[in-house]
Amino acid sequence: MKGIFQKSFTVMVVLMLFLLTACSGSSTGDEGSTNTDGGTIQAKIGVVSYLTGAGAAYGEAITNGLKLAQSEINEQGEVNIDLVIEDSAGEAEQALSAAQKLMNDEEILAIIGPTLSTEFFAVAPEADLNGISIMGTSTTAEGIPEIGDYVFRNSIPEALAIPTAMEKAVERTGAKKVALIYGNDDVLTKSGFDTMKKAAEEMGLEIVTIETFQKGQSDYNAQLTKIKNANPDLILASALYNEGAVIMDQARKMGIEVPFVGGNGFNSPQVLEIAGEAANGLIVATPWFGESEDPKVVEFNKKFEEAYGKLPDQFAAQAYDALYIYADALKRAGEADRELFHEALAETKNFEGLLGNFSFDEIGDVVMDVKVVEIKDGKFVEFQ
Amino acid sequence: MLADFINPYHLQIASFILINILLAISVYVPLSSGQLSLGSAGFMGVGAYTSALLTIHFDLPIFVGVLVGAAVAGCLGIIIGIPSLRLSGVYLAIATLGLGEVIRVIFVNWESLTKGSIGLTGIPQMGRELLKLARNVGIEPAMFGLRNNQFVYLMVFVILLILVIGTIWFVFRQQNSRIGRSFSSIQMDEKAAESMGINITYFKVLSFSQGAFLAGLAGALFAHVMGYISPSDFSYHRAVEILIFTVFGGSEVIIGSIFGAIFLTLIPEVLRFVSEYRYIIYGIMLVILMAVRPQGILDIHLLSKFKRLKRSKGGVR
Repeated sequence: MKGIFQKSFTVMVVLMLFLLTACSGSSTGDEGSTNTDGGTIQAKIGVVSYLTGAGAAYGEAITNGLKLAQSEINEQGEVNIDLVIEDSAGEAEQALSAAQKLMNDEEILAIIGPTLSTEFFAVAPEADLNGISIMGTSTTAEGIPEIGDYVFRNSIPEALAIPTAMEKAVERTGAKKVALIYGNDDVLTKSGFDTMKKAAEEMGLEIVTIETFQKGQSDYNAQLTKIKNANPDLILASALYNEGAVIMDQARKMGIEVPFVGGNGFNSPQVLEIAGEAANGLIVATPWFGESEDPKVVEFNKKFEEAYGKLPDQFAAQAYDALYIYADALKRAGEADRELFHEALAETKNFEGLLGNFSFDEIGDVVMDVKVVEIKDGKFVEFQ
Repeated sequence: MLADFINPYHLQIASFILINILLAISVYVPLSSGQLSLGSAGFMGVGAYTSALLTIHFDLPIFVGVLVGAAVAGCLGIIIGIPSLRLSGVYLAIATLGLGEVIRVIFVNWESLTKGSIGLTGIPQMGRELLKLARNVGIEPAMFGLRNNQFVYLMVFVILLILVIGTIWFVFRQQNSRIGRSFSSIQMDEKAAESMGINITYFKVLSFSQGAFLAGLAGALFAHVMGYISPSDFSYHRAVEILIFTVFGGSEVIIGSIFGAIFLTLIPEVLRFVSEYRYIIYGIMLVILMAVRPQGILDIHLLSKFKRLKRSKGGVR
């Protein structure tokens, strides 16, 4: 038996040594290729995205948005961007490994992603420590840009979106009593709820009841009965669209007719498909309004549908804008240098993107106008 | 010189492999006394949260946090072990799976302490703390020709390696002791073991809580390697993953668990070049291997065959 014991060590030691020495050549790769080359600036951007697993649809939308932006930017010719896309499978440690791999490549200028806030929290401090700019395109939880100097995002935080939607809804309906319902096992919905509660208290609304649900739940009658008995003027629902749509459906069947105000995760065309008629009266604040008449949006919709066979959602739109913001910063930086790029990126002001006028504040968070939309007669319209 | 060979990415994966080895052993130990525990993810979470909270709120040194975290998980193992070990086989598996979920749901709902599903940020990272410590006593990574992040990951790797070797040594020694033989007799036949005068309850609780302790240790280390934890890190998914390490590698021998953890952690990284398809390949591999070798890749027969091969070679020489 002692032999096996020793052998186990030998195997382990050999494997570990293999790992150590199997250094990829890329880490010692020369930086020459990343510099200006006949007027165009060459750069490699690392992407960590959720491409396999339950939330792969988000990652797919994001990478499609990025690829579309990449082909357009490269066509314009001022900068030439290479995307290096790594999968994170939605797990924090996989995201960290993937990001580590990217950061270790000297040619990688900056990183976009990861997709989920839980992944981002694990990756961002490491990127910050290594002095590599990192931008979240779908991370809306609180406390993300605060992680460090090199951490940015272009997704509208719940803290900005939800109060705007609530104010407009209260303004029109004159609501005084609100009920809250939220998913308590998801970062996005939990942090959305915190924002809703804070905003409701600040606006002097009376909270009649707070209900919770879990991911994947299918029967909300217990919670909705309580809400119905409390008789609110407005329901604040911090839910992802798949659960949120079911909640609305069951609420309408139960005879609850008041409007719903939702967070960013509630904003999806899927709501219409799942809830149908029952979705009328949903109010959400969003950076992305797909039905908009804005020529930029119309063109983006057309191109995206041509390339990928379906209409883009907000994740694709935000990712698309993110790469344009990077390209813009790269042009101003003048060369593919991590430090120069970071300085240029931090100075991004009044960038005219697909989603509107965009700036970073001093900590790297988003400054932009939010659109409020509602579902009326089975489609999204701008809130009047 | 040294600096050219140290790649933080590879060291990071090696660190995850070492943590996964600890987790695989935490399933192997209860299994060696015939108990299938799926609570590892839960115990891992207890260790991780205990250590993280202690080091964040009370500024305790990391090693104290890790030890307390593992000890708390071990104690929970004893408390849970005594009533639930009346169950056996599938029933125990389901009970421990339930326990893991209960622990996770507590993390989600105890918002004042755990910040709910948002998770704990700002957990002191082992390597970075060591870097600070080293600088305080006047040692700079540059003295060895290392960059800061190389030093950080090298330290993490070395510490984990020492802990893992220590754990394997302990489990191995225990296996060949009176306790280990009692474990395997219980695994073979509980009634017979009892009639031979073995205190079944004692040994079952012992092996179960050892597993819990190891899972807690792995969890605490995980927290200090990642610097961020959330309840989704300790879900049912994780429990199954840990079980697969052990079952895939071979649950009869300890080297099976080690092999399983190394192999199954490495594969998704090695397969990165096929991007979206890597988990498909991973899945297909599991199906084939389970169909061909249900006892896991390594078992006693295979190992003794290796041994004989070696011996006969030696004989010729």
